[in-house]
Amino acid sequence: MTALESHSPRSLPLLRTAAVVVLVAVGFFLPRLLGGTSVAYSTLTTIAIFAVMCYGVDVVLSYLGEVSLGHTLFWAVGGYAAANLSVKYGLNGWSTAAATIALCIIAAAFLGAVTLRTREFVFSLVTYAAAVVAYEIAFNWDAIGGSDGIVGISALKLPFGFTTYVGATQEDLWPIAFALLLLTLGFIARFRRSRLGTTALMVQMNPPLAASLGIDPRKVRLAVFVISAPITGLAGWLYAYQRAYVGPDMFETYFLVMMLTAVVLVGRRILIGPLIGTAILIAQQNLLSLGGDWNKIILGSVLALVLIFWPTGLIGLFRRLSRTKA
Amino acid sequence: MNIAQQIVNGLVLGSGYACIALGWTILLGVARLVNFAHGQLYMLGAFATWYAMTKLGMPYPLAIIAAIVALAVLGALMQSAMMGLVMTQNLTSLMIVTLGLGYVLQGGSALIFGGNPQTLPGTLARAKVDLGSLWFTWQDVLVLVATLLLYGAVWLFTQRTRFGSVIRAVAEDPKLAELFGINAKVVYLLVFVFECGAVALGAALVAPRSPILTSMGFNEVIMTFVVVVLGGIGSIGGALVAGLGLGLFIAFFGAFIAQAYTTAAAFAVLLALLVVRPAGLATK
Amino acid sequence: MIKSIKLAIVLLLTMSAPVMAQDIKVGTIFPLSGGAGPDGQSVTNAVKLAVQEINDKGGLLGRKITLVSKDDESTPAVGVSRANEMIAEKVDVVIEGWNSPVTLAMQPILARAGILDITAVSKSDLILSGETNPLAIRINSSNGFDAGVIAKYVVETLKAKKVAFLTQNDVYGNGFQTAVEAEFKKLNFSGEVMMTEKFAFKDTDFRVQLTNLKAANPDAIIVTNSSNSSGLPAMVEQYRQADLKSAFVGAVGIMLPTVFKVAGDANNGIVSADIYFWNLPPFNAIPESNSFVAAFKKAYGVEPDKSAALGAAALQVWARAVEATKSLDRKTVAEAIRGKTIKGTLFGDAQFLPNGQLQPRYVVFKVVDGKTAKLEALQ
Repeated sequence: MTALESHSPRSLPLLRTAAVVVLVAVGFFLPRLLGGTSVAYSTLTTIAIFAVMCYGVDVVLSYLGEVSLGHTLFWAVGGYAAANLSVKYGLNGWSTAAATIALCIIAAAFLGAVTLRTREFVFSLVTYAAAVVAYEIAFNWDAIGGSDGIVGISALKLPFGFTTYVGATQEDLWPIAFALLLLTLGFIARFRRSRLGTTALMVQMNPPLAASLGIDPRKVRLAVFVISAPITGLAGWLYAYQRAYVGPDMFETYFLVMMLTAVVLVGRRILIGPLIGTAILIAQQNLLSLGGDWNKIILGSVLALVLIFWPTGLIGLFRRLSRTKA
Repeated sequence: MNIAQQIVNGLVLGSGYACIALGWTILLGVARLVNFAHGQLYMLGAFATWYAMTKLGMPYPLAIIAAIVALAVLGALMQSAMMGLVMTQNLTSLMIVTLGLGYVLQGGSALIFGGNPQTLPGTLARAKVDLGSLWFTWQDVLVLVATLLLYGAVWLFTQRTRFGSVIRAVAEDPKLAELFGINAKVVYLLVFVFECGAVALGAALVAPRSPILTSMGFNEVIMTFVVVVLGGIGSIGGALVAGLGLGLFIAFFGAFIAQAYTTAAAFAVLLALLVVRPAGLATK
Repeated sequence: MIKSIKLAIVLLLTMSAPVMAQDIKVGTIFPLSGGAGPDGQSVTNAVKLAVQEINDKGGLLGRKITLVSKDDESTPAVGVSRANEMIAEKVDVVIEGWNSPVTLAMQPILARAGILDITAVSKSDLILSGETNPLAIRINSSNGFDAGVIAKYVVETLKAKKVAFLTQNDVYGNGFQTAVEAEFKKLNFSGEVMMTEKFAFKDTDFRVQLTNLKAANPDAIIVTNSSNSSGLPAMVEQYRQADLKSAFVGAVGIMLPTVFKVAGDANNGIVSADIYFWNLPPFNAIPESNSFVAAFKKAYGVEPDKSAALGAAALQVWARAVEATKSLDRKTVAEAIRGKTIKGTLFGDAQFLPNGQLQPRYVVFKVVDGKTAKLEALQ
């Protein structure tokens, strides 16, 4: 009998929780472990923020099976809400975050209602159209920033009773970004087991069964879409404080492509898939950059080749390798 | 006279939109493939034409054919690589594969052709026509005529020939078509090759209007999107009407309201239409 | 035994090697790919040449300058990454900026890290607003000054009575138009502004706007279009095709080499202004300019244009300030530039306003032969 088998079944979840705690601790201290420089902090904060941004798209893809090309809209809503409300009205981080969530829910409810009966590429095209319209509005509406955007966003202030946590430097923002990432992961882990989550999966996988159970697929679609929006929105909210500058560039394909790539690269419905995908992309951009043109070729080739050979993502390759080993 | 000229402007713009949109809508209708590389293929078609004319010394008509052939070959290669995903109708992965291929085309073209703007000499883009106080170029005429001929030819082909009905069968239900002995793979291949050839033709005709850059592509074809969805996915007549209609809308909206907001207006109209009649544009 | 002797020798040698004076690092962040790639390359090449000139003369403060060049791909998020990389490489100064949004995104990052940031080309007024970088420096001219030159020409030289605007619809274009209209008021302009037609930066077809302008038939059309690689040359050609009789007055600095190269003699008759010409007075009398022009021609086969001059000037201004203050400290060097005059640059004496803006010297010109970019200086 091996050491593992001798453990009682009850200690396995305990082992799992311990492993999670260790991972979380290592994750939190990762910037310090990687040198503690401001660049280490800013890179990891960026990875955390972009990962949360991608999780919004991931929810829609995993639970509705649809590719949303409009999540840059929610990303921008978060950024613009944080920028405008903090610069013009001096609101603190909690207020701007609450505004972000509220605005994203409203926007997603509207967009979700519009796309209720659309499927697949029509859904994608409509979400894309919404993002284009939103971009044009943001670009031309000088009151919320106009084409040059809003500069001088002051540091993130989160009052906690008597003290206020100020995110003045990258080191200060890291715990916030890490917390947001953990919250997102926790939320998605719970969502997977929630009634809405399982219902959504059932609607996607076995529509006749869902119909026979009296489930209204449209309500499920709308709910999942609306839930996905504030996730990406909050990522945009934090990005505004990290970058101290928000502009119509929030709508650029740079972010859209990152969202799509990170979400499909590793695989569907894998909890840390988007996080790993984001980390790979940022690492390539920062550490292995060969210039704009070669980067495009590399990114494009990786994307195309991975999905052609392993349509379910890199996890397919991983599974194949582990199977051949066994 | 302003109105008459704007109508001319609208038709010129619209025939360009329709020409570029044809391949995309057919590909979407038959294979349900969203080709995100469309913009880069347009750019490549323009550069292939330019290369043929300036580096290989071909006259314009030959260069157009060369561009079509070059892109058709490229399309065959691309589609062969994607065939597995197309046959399993893994639409989300397909979308992203075309996105990736588009990126490769863009980066590759920038390395091969460089980042400087190029012009296409020897076309009719500088040959002006003055009809009273109206003005346009012979190139504009060429685009309109070629677009109408192309649409006519494709319509006849799909509606009147045997192979056309084969394509329509595969578009309707690929599995059923296979049961009847139709090789869906060949159909998909030919449709993708057509899309590439058609966008090459569109590029060869429309791109000479302005300097071409390897960084272009996305903006040039963004209206294709609107044309295809407004006209009905896969609908040939719809794409023509939507294209010309969109061109006229852009011209009049721009002339009398604000040219800078035409993209926003076009997309807003698209969204509004989809709100009012989503069922009409949803697929099976 | 032998192994440890070898190891000891190696250790001795490395420890006794003379400690070399560390190189001074200059970073550049410009678009090197994409639509603005060729422009950004030109500016980067100019900075490279200016660095070489200094190194050939013995370096800066006796130390060699090494150049670290990065590509911002005209995307603010990428620019931010590159700025972070510059911080990691511990550069002493960053010369950056072709697109304003990229500059605006990078400014707070560099300022927070205490690295001096000199903006070479980006034109946004927000760059000098002090909010994100209290020690900002910009070499290219601002809309405010530009407007004065163009308004003066239109009102006093051209004596136009009916004026129209063809304006790029963004903060740059709209800002310039607003500034020109303000200058019109100051000059007691007795004519009228008939109409404004706008377009998006990425547009390449302007027949709708040109049709409207032709119908109005103003004396002069003030054109603001910064898309020098595609939109502007297309606009010039379509302007001629539409047979507009109105005078084409271009905003300051838009007539870059690619416009001449692509639109050729359609440019003939265009009037505009700019802040540097290698072959026109007063610049062709400045020795630093002439030597730079010769070196640039030798290295790259063409004479430097305004953008290249801006890049080189940025480097030269910084280097002179470092020499004068014997310091690489951000605040010290910045305060030796802002509000002061730096002598010995290819712009001659470079006078800076307290907010960091270089005061430009304008030359108003008319295009004589578009194919060869032959210009005639006016007044």
